[in-house]
Amino acid sequence: MSAPVYPSGTVRALLATNLVTDATRAALQARLDAPVHEPEFFEPQTYALLQAVAARLIPQPDRAEPIDVAGGIDKRLAEGKADGWRYNAMPPDREAYRLGLGGINQAAQALHQQPFLALTEPQQDAVLEAVAAGTAPGENWQQLPIGRFFEEMLAELTENYYSHPLAQEEIGYVGMADVPGWTHIQPNDLEPREPKAD
Amino acid sequence: MPDEEVLEEGVLNPIKTEIQDPLLQAILEENGSPLAAPTELEQPAPLPDPVDEVDCVVIGTGAGGAPLLARLAMAGLKVVALEAGPRRNPITDYATDEKAQAFLFWNDERLSAGQNPVAFGNNNSGTGVGGSTLHYTAYTPRAQDDDLHLHRDFGVGVDWPFGIDELEPYYDELEQFLGVSGPTPYLWGAPRRRGYPLAPLPLNGAALLMQQACAQLGIQTSPAANAALSARYYQEGVGWREACTNRGFCQAGCNVGAKASMDVTFLPLAEAHGAEIRADAFVTEIERDEKGRVTGVVYEQYGVTVRQRCRHLFLCAGAVETPRLLLLNELALTSGQVGKHFMAHPGMQVWGTFSEDIRPYKGIPGGLISEDTHRPKDADFAGGYLLQSIGVMPVTFASQMARGRKLWGQQLRDYMRNYNHISGINILGDCLPHANNFLELAEEKDARGLPKPRLHFTAQENELRMNAHSEKLMREIWTAAGATDLWAYERYAHVIGTARMGLSGDDAVVNPDGRAFDVPNLYICDNSVFPSALSVNPALTIMALSLRTADKFLAAQARLDG
Ligand SMILES: Cc1cc2nc3c(=O)[nH]c(=O)nc-3n(C[C@H](O)[C@H](O)[C@H](O)COP(=O)(O)OP(=O)(O)OC[C@H]3O[C@@H](n4cnc5c(N)ncnc54)[C@H](O)[C@@H]3O)c2cc1C
Ligand code: SF4
Repeated sequence: MSAPVYPSGTVRALLATNLVTDATRAALQARLDAPVHEPEFFEPQTYALLQAVAARLIPQPDRAEPIDVAGGIDKRLAEGKADGWRYNAMPPDREAYRLGLGGINQAAQALHQQPFLALTEPQQDAVLEAVAAGTAPGENWQQLPIGRFFEEMLAELTENYYSHPLAQEEIGYVGMADVPGWTHIQPNDLEPREPKAD
Repeated sequence: MPDEEVLEEGVLNPIKTEIQDPLLQAILEENGSPLAAPTELEQPAPLPDPVDEVDCVVIGTGAGGAPLLARLAMAGLKVVALEAGPRRNPITDYATDEKAQAFLFWNDERLSAGQNPVAFGNNNSGTGVGGSTLHYTAYTPRAQDDDLHLHRDFGVGVDWPFGIDELEPYYDELEQFLGVSGPTPYLWGAPRRRGYPLAPLPLNGAALLMQQACAQLGIQTSPAANAALSARYYQEGVGWREACTNRGFCQAGCNVGAKASMDVTFLPLAEAHGAEIRADAFVTEIERDEKGRVTGVVYEQYGVTVRQRCRHLFLCAGAVETPRLLLLNELALTSGQVGKHFMAHPGMQVWGTFSEDIRPYKGIPGGLISEDTHRPKDADFAGGYLLQSIGVMPVTFASQMARGRKLWGQQLRDYMRNYNHISGINILGDCLPHANNFLELAEEKDARGLPKPRLHFTAQENELRMNAHSEKLMREIWTAAGATDLWAYERYAHVIGTARMGLSGDDAVVNPDGRAFDVPNLYICDNSVFPSALSVNPALTIMALSLRTADKFLAAQARLDG
């Protein structure tokens, strides 16, 4: 089965209706309207590296304006927020990102003799594959469990992406339009407000 | 009268030292946050010592704290509940958005150690007036008698200090009060004196697919018992509650009041009978007199430190914060069991892609159940598990897919475009207590300057065998249902144990009535007192224990008065 493709514009259209509660609309609209994030925690160079890594982990060649998935990490680290837990084997989050992004650059240097930002996309992917597989070279990985770091960073970027209304539209999710409740809940049984895949 | 004793100040002080997390240190320095621990130079001013002493303080308003709060208030006692989290209005404050609902989770950092580090935050415990019930899925199966006797039947684990007959009247009472929707008769377990008060909720896509496949394989299924209303329901002390709208968002807070979380059930009942609930009140100290009786608690509220004196304390802060408070205050430690034998339910999931358009955001997440695996004939493990169909919201799904399936790049986005065609089944299985699994205080401090809890969890042979058994079965079910691209996700959910109940203070923290062996006026009631994990979801049993603990306490008080 090829992956479904949903029409665009449905979520913005739903946000304008009374099918969405005020609280829900406020949360989603804020994400749609968010200004470009300026880094508060990372140095500009490191932030550019994080953005480059994010662009390979959540590639968006189809979007003229990619959804910002790195900004949320910078913001969270600047505010010092946590999500309730951390692997004991990992240092505190700020330290983990500092070491981990540095480690990615070290791996890029060792494998391709250039910093990550200077690499082609296939080379960047090769570096990230090595990080994902736990085989990437780099002294920072002596201090940071490589697999856990990759998992944590990927999960956070993924959460940031799929929290965005346009990413939700991409996968045909309209659960936010729940004011009237759902009565058609059987397989293949859609409500009029649920977009069909092309 | 022992209650009139002079309060000795600062008999015990939780360790208040410098913050060690460099991240926090830096932030606090930058922001000058009011959360910073007092330095040695600025001695905190002595606390006002209000003369008003209440009969009971209850710490925590979740499944363990709320029912007993109502019971004690209804008996005419002066009771105060202290809840670390906020009080919210579900109708105006609960967005149907996963990120916007993060305030429902206990987001203070916990350190997860061991071979199978347990995820907390949105996976495990809540905060706020209502506790974790604000974001539980409201599955409410009863435990069966043999769940309480793993040691008797298999020679492993420990037995509960009583049988199911002690819980049965409370199960019955709770199902009627909460308005549980479910099938009558229920297929598994002992016959019931009464059926469920409401008919089952409708089955959604995942539930119907699982139902058909199980029928082919000869596995009995049934709509699950769920504490969400399938019809409007009148509830004492609360009034009419509205029916579930199939919004599917139970794990992040129900905005119609259909789900029986404590904020729409026992807590309004308690307040109607005079209980006082103080939100945003984080308890740090439990004070005692020289005889070891609890005299009161100290909590932080809006940056102010407050003392509340009490005659009796009910500690219901959940299976992480309860042992943490006991360890911080060096309280009830003689059995050596505080923090020990931490358990977590195996919650193996199997996901598949279907040609049917399913829309996993519609309907209650857990529509269908099977308890045919309660004691499987071909089991190579002790205990058993239950099977549930699962719905899921997109961010939760994407996140655990990234962790568990390790897809990234274009593959990740391509797979996620199948979201509307994905369905899951999961288990909830028993877990054996093991000495290697425990909670301890870490050296690293939180924003209050208190040591963070560190939890060690490694799935042992029994859990691994159960996982393998269930994964095979769930793959068979989803294959029979026509799913493709199956993948399994090994996970552990629910925090259990850490302050267990037993017959003797040598190996248990509380007695069968929930009273601490070491401290005559301290009761503990939450997930932490479970001697074994049970093969069913815990909340209904926690609530049953809560009502029972209140009744045992009230009976003991009556005897003293008489
Ligand atoms: C996503 C999810 C789904 C679930 N689904 C189900 C299900 O379908 N069925 C089921 O049976 N169970 C389910 N559970 C589990 C169930 O919610 C918990 O087992 C149950 O609520 C635990 O009750 P408790 O009283 O032990 O703790 P909690 O309900 O967590 O209550 C503890 C309370 O104490 C407060 N507290 C902690 N420390 C302090 C302090 N120092 N001072 C003041 N207050 C404090 C906390 O803020 C919290 O409100 C689910 C849980 C989650 C997270
Ligand atoms: S599915 Fe029902 S119980 Fe769950 S959040 Fe929605 S309305 Fe509430």
